[in-house]
Amino acid sequence: MIEVSDLRKSYKRVRGLDGFSLRVETGEIVGLVGPNGAGKTSLIKILATLLPSDSGTARIGDWDVRTNPAEVRATIGYLPDVAGIYQDLRIIEFLEFFADAYHLRPGKREEAIEQALRVSGLSERREEYVEHLSLGWKQRLQLAKTLIHGPKVLLLDEPASGLDPLARMAFREQLKKLRADGITILVSSHILADLEDVCSQVVFISEGKNVADPQGVVISEAPKMGTIRCVIEFQENSKAGELARSLAGVNVLEATTTLLRAEVEGGERGAAQLLRELLEAGAVVSHFDTKLNDLEERYVRTFQGVGGKATQ
Amino acid sequence: MSLLANPMIQKELRQRLRERRAWVLPTLYILLLSSVVLFAYSESSATQHGANAQGAEIGLAIFASLVFSQVIVLLLMAPVFSAGGITIEKEQRTFASLLTTLLTPPEIWWGKFVSSLLYLVLLLFCSLPLLALSFAFGGVEPTEVLLATLYSILVLATVCAVGLFCSALFRRSVHSTASAYGLVLVLSIVTAVVYMYMEAHRLQIARSPGDVPNPAFVQAPLLLNPLYPFLSLMERGAINQFPYNVSSCLLYGAMLLLAAAFTMRLLKKSGEQV
Repeated sequence: MIEVSDLRKSYKRVRGLDGFSLRVETGEIVGLVGPNGAGKTSLIKILATLLPSDSGTARIGDWDVRTNPAEVRATIGYLPDVAGIYQDLRIIEFLEFFADAYHLRPGKREEAIEQALRVSGLSERREEYVEHLSLGWKQRLQLAKTLIHGPKVLLLDEPASGLDPLARMAFREQLKKLRADGITILVSSHILADLEDVCSQVVFISEGKNVADPQGVVISEAPKMGTIRCVIEFQENSKAGELARSLAGVNVLEATTTLLRAEVEGGERGAAQLLRELLEAGAVVSHFDTKLNDLEERYVRTFQGVGGKATQ
Repeated sequence: MSLLANPMIQKELRQRLRERRAWVLPTLYILLLSSVVLFAYSESSATQHGANAQGAEIGLAIFASLVFSQVIVLLLMAPVFSAGGITIEKEQRTFASLLTTLLTPPEIWWGKFVSSLLYLVLLLFCSLPLLALSFAFGGVEPTEVLLATLYSILVLATVCAVGLFCSALFRRSVHSTASAYGLVLVLSIVTAVVYMYMEAHRLQIARSPGDVPNPAFVQAPLLLNPLYPFLSLMERGAINQFPYNVSSCLLYGAMLLLAAAFTMRLLKKSGEQV
């Protein structure tokens, strides 16, 4: 659905993108991760048809962003990093404006506005002015506006920045629902826990280029929907890997004689079942964790390897 | 999409009319023009020595002072309404969302242009009853009122288009508004000064000006002056000293189109400003 190949973009003295490539399949949520100034916003702006690239290709669906900007705009929903909002409009007027700006026909227009109000939970507050909404509600309204024309692809640039934890959780749930509806999402964020929760893939970017982490993995697989990751360490040599592989619903990611990393179906209940099976098989477990922040670890490893920019 | 069904127009007018200045400005505007009418009436009556005053001359005095006053006031207001049209979207960070909708640069320009011009036209129409007072005294034809109104709309439309161009060019409203005022100043004052200098120079050479209009090359800078068509309209001598009102209108029309074209071009490339 999104295909970027050898994309380059330079500003006056700075190189924004330097041969970046990316492929996102339909229905995926892909996270874009990198330090400030890595080129995330440039990439998203090029995909949103706001910036022209210097060279390379970028396609959304069947459309090239340079040659078919109108078709691309009809296909995408774009939420900028600092998304302003018309404070002096009522909520309903705000949505009506964007429905009209996307040239929705009568009938479909009203239906889209009602759906946007329903999805954002603002049906009862439609006559209120936008300026009276909290930041979290404004972000919901922004997302509803972004979805009003039924885009197949969402481009979200730092969508959760500034949101409180509850609003972030609600936002994550919205993204998961959208994914279930078959919408493809490219999201840039510094909040790695959020990305790990919602993304099916995460792509690292630095200085406008793809960055492979020290293991040579450009795209790291985040947990699949409905699964949980766990890491188990053993005090002595163990054949836990072989046992885990034989169990249904367990996908072994890494197994050594002292360590097992696995993805388990059924959430925490599934993880507890795996632990029980291992203990019953006689394994001596020294550490068990289901809250492994794999992405954070990988991020630190990756960006320490490119000049420690992760800490800048 | 029809020209008036543009969603930008509705949004802009909603936002504009919710501001306090939406009703404060027309009130002040009418008060100011009313005082101009009173002043013109008292002055023209006084100069006609009471009983011998000619109604037609009073009517003409009211008409002329009202037309010039309202154009000058609206020329001062036009940059305020137009030069912030696009920069406000940049400052409020709503421009990116706007540019990624299906609205084309011409649609965005048209919406901003019509909404800024409509408010000025509203003010212009507010003063029509005052302008109609001149009919009570005579000396003014309805066609002259109509022409004055049409000239005003053309001049204000051009200034609005120039203001929007400045707005597309700059990132901040303060810069675009200052530039738009600068351009209005050049059109209003600098052209008049250049004209007066050229006319003085011509008189020095000719020594006997006679009762003929200045040649076109002397009047050329004045054609860019927003008051030129009104000077032409008010000229009551045997020979119109300012006969090139059509040329002036055409120049203003051309300026409007050029400003519109450049603004749309800038809008197409304005993704880098968001």
